[in-house]
Amino acid sequence: MCSTAKKKGNCIEYTDSGLPKTAIRFEVNGDNFEKKVDPTMTLLQLLNNELKLFGTKEGCGEGECGACSIIMNGKAVNSCLVLAAEADGASILTVEGLGQGNKLSILQQEFIKYDALQCGFCTPGMLMSARSLLDRDKDPNDDEIKEAIEGNFCRCTGYIPIIDAIRSAAKREREELK
Amino acid sequence: MLSKFEYVKPETLEEAVGFLGSHPETKILAGGTDLMVLLRRNLLITDHILDIKGIQDLDRLEYKRGEGLYIGATVRVNEIAENSMIQKKYRALHQAAGALASHQLRNRATLVGNICNASPGADLSSPLLVFNAKVHVQGPEGKRELKIEDFFTGVKKNALEKGEIVTGILLPEVNDGDTSYFKKQSRVKGHDLATVGISIRRTAEKETLVGMAAIAPTPIRLRELEKKLKNRDFNEETAEWLKVEIKHHLKPISDVRASKEYRFLASGALGKKIMMAMIEEGVK
Repeated sequence: MCSTAKKKGNCIEYTDSGLPKTAIRFEVNGDNFEKKVDPTMTLLQLLNNELKLFGTKEGCGEGECGACSIIMNGKAVNSCLVLAAEADGASILTVEGLGQGNKLSILQQEFIKYDALQCGFCTPGMLMSARSLLDRDKDPNDDEIKEAIEGNFCRCTGYIPIIDAIRSAAKREREELK
Repeated sequence: MLSKFEYVKPETLEEAVGFLGSHPETKILAGGTDLMVLLRRNLLITDHILDIKGIQDLDRLEYKRGEGLYIGATVRVNEIAENSMIQKKYRALHQAAGALASHQLRNRATLVGNICNASPGADLSSPLLVFNAKVHVQGPEGKRELKIEDFFTGVKKNALEKGEIVTGILLPEVNDGDTSYFKKQSRVKGHDLATVGISIRRTAEKETLVGMAAIAPTPIRLRELEKKLKNRDFNEETAEWLKVEIKHHLKPISDVRASKEYRFLASGALGKKIMMAMIEEGVK
């Protein structure tokens, strides 16, 4: 699937609608990928449709609800508002990368312990925002926890169990991961 | 599904300006937090998207004594919200940056993008107004510099000509004893557009500057109010006076977020709150 057109020595692939694809290299949960993507594809679509990582959810698709939150180059972002092409060179962490094999991370264990989910749709995004918070602050107070998840909507729990779970996970991580 | 467009990511400013010259309808992509929403809703259809994040010169966030603070076009809002020097010298900007949308959006959104969108309620506009920020622009005709006040020309309209790009914003140096404060009113705490945004700055020379957003077609400086504040000390009496006086200087509209009357009241209340907070800190 390569036309004769050459640019910088590489062959260019085209999308079904005739656009030149963009070549990107990136890392997801420790695995390296090289892809040629449709320039109109979002990073969320790349994760869901190309890599078959279905943990990251699409809620509003407009950066309001936070269900699609991932960690990109160490920062929590809404993957629905990032083009796949923009992920060139990026290191990405999704909810699938939190645990190790079948062993859940401390954060995930505490979400279960505190019943911090009901329907579960917001949970992957909520976990990524919480992970990003604990990466930058090992001992956040409740206001800091609330601020960290202000971009993540949950319509089931009323947030209290989520805040409890993050507080408890922070404590366990301080004690167990030294 | 987004409409068809080609994605271009230049590595130098010259390349970017050249591309804009030959493709004048190109949309510039920095953080993308507004652009992606418009594309998704098909409110905006474009053939070319120019990602400026590959241009290293634009990523500069730098303070130089005597000159001031320079913020490049791709500097993210969270970089401003997490910077302790900015907190100390340009507090209103720091507060406004921290109050913008959600943590995830602040990790993508840029200060320059917020300004270029020229929303009447742009959170970061009122601090820039009170710091007399200068907008650095580059285009086919070369470089030019605009006062932030002249940059906003209407609802969602800015003073950029075809093919021009904002490269950064300079906030001139502030002297010791200069203080500023930002507050916004929104329907819910965090992650909401401002119903009213206000910044007040008191210089070491006791000059007062007031900038506001979401109360007129563009963010504005309240020049007449500033004149009236000129010979007044900051005290409780002035704060009470400000609460009533401020509404004579605004031209708000009623919209989905608030009525005109509410905006008058909120502006007065926020103005008074800021002044009282400053008095508590010892500002006279």
